[in-house]
Amino acid sequence: MNSETTAVRVWDLPTRVFHWSLVASFATAFITSESEKLRDIHVVAGYALAGLIAFRLLWGFVGGAHSRFADFLPAPGKLIDYLKSLLARRPQHYVGHNPAGAVAIFLLLAFGVIAAASGWATYNEIGGHFMEELHEVSSNGMMAVVAIHIAGVIVSSWLHGENLVLAMITGWKKMRSTTHENPAG
Amino acid sequence: MRHILLIAAAVLATNVYAETPRDFLTRFEKEAGAPASAERGARFFTTKQGGEWSCASCHTEKPTQPGRHARTDKAITPLAPAANAERFTDAAKVDKWFRRNCNDTLNRVCSPQEKADVMAWLLALK
Repeated sequence: MNSETTAVRVWDLPTRVFHWSLVASFATAFITSESEKLRDIHVVAGYALAGLIAFRLLWGFVGGAHSRFADFLPAPGKLIDYLKSLLARRPQHYVGHNPAGAVAIFLLLAFGVIAAASGWATYNEIGGHFMEELHEVSSNGMMAVVAIHIAGVIVSSWLHGENLVLAMITGWKKMRSTTHENPAG
Repeated sequence: MRHILLIAAAVLATNVYAETPRDFLTRFEKEAGAPASAERGARFFTTKQGGEWSCASCHTEKPTQPGRHARTDKAITPLAPAANAERFTDAAKVDKWFRRNCNDTLNRVCSPQEKADVMAWLLALK
């Protein structure tokens, strides 16, 4: 068996900057969400989050290969196969987003859009109590997906024997030569 | 006996759908185990309790009037039920805003006694 490893470029710089900026803006918005004193910071964090997601939606069509939505469109069949392979401790390997991560990303983007829009409406007193509730439910939904995403990153990093967090910082993954370049979708 | 049951049923039935401001006074007094004081409520509402803000910083010292958010300057509808029939009619909202606003003004939750006192004062405002 050949255990030679090669470095593969996975995440382009804009995708990585987007990822960690989204972490910062969402964390700031979440931490300041219960306070009227910090309301202005919360609103700025919300605008930042909305702008970042707008960029990511565009980047999903024109960005680097593994950042494009076409590279990781959710597919229930592949998701089930992937989850089964995790349970069997023989994880299928994907260079870009794995099928579970792909679902997380689309959920995060959707919840983010709803949270930002309903937050804007609430701040501008449009839509009343409904928008306020929608803002809370979508933001909590987003935080729930973040928790699942982090758990998934830890489990996948361990099962695949690779550091996915480091890959999102440097943009590079070390690949065993047996890995296929097949996209998640 | 039948009358008491009917009244109890009616009270329970209305509680399911909507509360009245007076229901909250009753609830907080019961939780506090002591009667409310409108005078104490007025003092609590209009003076700082160790924090940067008092309740009046946003709701004004006359909560029959519209208030103004101390950070964002946005308009706040009157808090006193006599001036705003929508106030204190939904337990989830009341609990949510006491939780948030007490934390902003006191850096802690309000005690049932403090909430009962404020309710008594707000109900006394005409």
